Amino acid sequence: MLEIKNLTKVYDDGTVALRDLNFNVESGEFLVIIGLSGSGKSTLLRCINRLIEPTQGKIIWEGIDITSAEPAQLRKIRRQIGMIFQHFNLVNRSNVLTNVLSGRLGYVNPLTSIYHGFPEKDRKLAMQALERAGIADQAKKRADELSGGQQQRVGIARALMQQPRMILADEPVASLDPVLAHTILGYLESMNQDEGITVLCSLHYLDLIQRYATRVIGLRDGQIVYRGSREDIRRMTDDEFKEIYGEEAVRVSAGRTEKGVE
Amino acid sequence: MGGISGQAKPVKSLVSGPVAGIASFIIPGLGQILAGQFRRGLLLLGSMGSSIMLLFWRAHLLAHREIGVFDKFVKALNRRPFFTGLLIACSVFLWVWNAWDARRQTRPDRRGGFGIFILIILIFFALGWQISQIDLYKMVVELPDALPPLSKVLWPWKAAVTRETEVVSAGADILIGCDDNPPLLPEEVPGKPYLMADPTCGELSRMDESNQVVKGSTLTLTGRGFAPNTETQIWWADSMGNEFRPRQEREYVTVHTDENGAFKLKLIMPYRLIPPSAEGQQIHRVEARQISAVGNLIIADPLKLTLGRMAETIFMGMMATFFGILFAVPISFLAARNLMAGSWITMSIYYLTRTILNIIRAIEPLIWALIAVVWVGLGPFAGIIALTIHSIASLGKLYSEAIENIDPGPIEAIQATGATWLQTIMYAVVPQMVPPFVSFSIYRWDINVRMSTIIGLVGGGGIGFLLVQYIRLLDYRSAGIAVWFIAITVAMLDYVSSEIRQRFV
Repeated sequence: MLEIKNLTKVYDDGTVALRDLNFNVESGEFLVIIGLSGSGKSTLLRCINRLIEPTQGKIIWEGIDITSAEPAQLRKIRRQIGMIFQHFNLVNRSNVLTNVLSGRLGYVNPLTSIYHGFPEKDRKLAMQALERAGIADQAKKRADELSGGQQQRVGIARALMQQPRMILADEPVASLDPVLAHTILGYLESMNQDEGITVLCSLHYLDLIQRYATRVIGLRDGQIVYRGSREDIRRMTDDEFKEIYGEEAVRVSAGRTEKGVE
Repeated sequence: MGGISGQAKPVKSLVSGPVAGIASFIIPGLGQILAGQFRRGLLLLGSMGSSIMLLFWRAHLLAHREIGVFDKFVKALNRRPFFTGLLIACSVFLWVWNAWDARRQTRPDRRGGFGIFILIILIFFALGWQISQIDLYKMVVELPDALPPLSKVLWPWKAAVTRETEVVSAGADILIGCDDNPPLLPEEVPGKPYLMADPTCGELSRMDESNQVVKGSTLTLTGRGFAPNTETQIWWADSMGNEFRPRQEREYVTVHTDENGAFKLKLIMPYRLIPPSAEGQQIHRVEARQISAVGNLIIADPLKLTLGRMAETIFMGMMATFFGILFAVPISFLAARNLMAGSWITMSIYYLTRTILNIIRAIEPLIWALIAVVWVGLGPFAGIIALTIHSIASLGKLYSEAIENIDPGPIEAIQATGATWLQTIMYAVVPQMVPPFVSFSIYRWDINVRMSTIIGLVGGGGIGFLLVQYIRLLDYRSAGIAVWFIAITVAMLDYVSSEIRQRFV
């Protein structure tokens, strides 16, 4: 479904964020990317829909090279790929319904949508998406009046509005507490299993990775240092996890172990 | 320890205590510098140097005729013993203290101490009191002078309304310098007021060589047929028709009619210079006038003018804000760092725009108004230009900061949905920009209306133009009406603008 070939990203200041990455994403996967902050996870996800322009390499989506797509074509590809963010990235001052409807922007008439004109069926779709996320009663509230967990559900509803074939999730639960993490990832899992939406997600906690991932890629300094199947991850120990994360992972792991003891 | 010096770690003193003391006695602060307290020494040198220079300046002003510093100080002491004496005593004390302080600063365990700076601040306070000519005695004693204008300004409404007036008058001709045919008495018409002068000729009051007034002839004025029991004014008109009210005993000449509407009074012919070029008979005219208020209350001119100018003021503020927004929006994009960070060319445009905006903003609208008055002449347009220039600079800066503070997250999210550039602007950028833009614009309108009330002082139109005229004419009641309307308008605007801003933020 998605092929990443020799992907390299060098920022203007000379930082090499990604070095010659190669991997494929199969349809229906729940692929988790792990790695320290700064290892290139966010850059990788943003290169896929070209929010960040890759420096070198190819990204093939259904046989089309995204890296050389024309703007119109790029927009068509983007609308098939939903995206969820660590900080939700909602438009705070717009209401929840408008935020969800904005997921439809790639489909509607570019001119009528300027003054918030959406077709009736899109409005129905938005209400359905909100109901599915369990926040239909909040539709008229301003986005910043909602709690963090609710805001991420709005983010998911917005991604759902695109009727995507794949979802990119950039640390979707990193700014939520652990209980909410399971709710949010539960939505992603049900979308993945019930509707066959491919999920490409970056995560930090080993227990979450073991619970949800069907495949794992480990990044360190912009390079793939680990590839593991579902079975590999289930067997993974803290020590192996530490190895992927490198020296600095000690504290992360220690914190996790403590929680495990509790 | 080290409160003012702010030294992080103890610095070793370069000299011993007494040496530092002597150094500071020669040049204030030098000892502290040598003791390693560089900033403290510099501060002492600067503040003591400037306070002593100011002291010399004031002494010079008090005794500018004296030559020689010593003589000047003696004279200054004579004229202002308390001020000069106190300052000299403090300065000498400060000088000694400064030397003693330098000795103390050489010992690391005894560093700091801010007592000396309190003394310096006190000296500056005393200098400031004298330089700015504060005079509490005058302020208290001459307070009564301020009360009449103040009460008129605070409660000016007597001048706000008036009644239509009706004038009843009759007059008689007076010949200057009697000859064979003095003017005839006017004919009496029954039912009309009538004024008779006796005699109908005479000499005007005049000045002799030593500027003493020589009284003119006395006329007996007899009036009949006027309204009874009413104050009647006496007017004089010269042969050119110029009218004035003659005074006797410093008061305008007036008379009260009796119950039959008649009066009789003696009038000394007033002073009036007859130009040497005047030829022929000089016939003046004396007139008796009764002015009575009749009819309904009507709005007086000050209130009418104030209302008109107030409307002008509000619209000046509005137009200036409108033009300000119009120009500030595009300029603000050039002054937003996040939009201009692309290359060194855009960055230099950014710095250039920022610098120009800062310079324009630093110049007060009143000064811009002075320039605009030269440019387009007196009137509201000059005020609008001045306020617009200032608004562009302020709004440009505020808008550009709002753009800089935009959250890039939503932009990214909307782009990821496959939205076009225009859709991204409308859905991710505009919602973030509208609240600060509206808020700043309303606030600016508020400021502009307030500014336009005083921009008239320099000829920029609006109510200030009227206000300054009334103040110069000492017409405090009319000025009071203008002040009241300014206060009402500003208070209302303040309320409205804060209400609107709250809705948007």
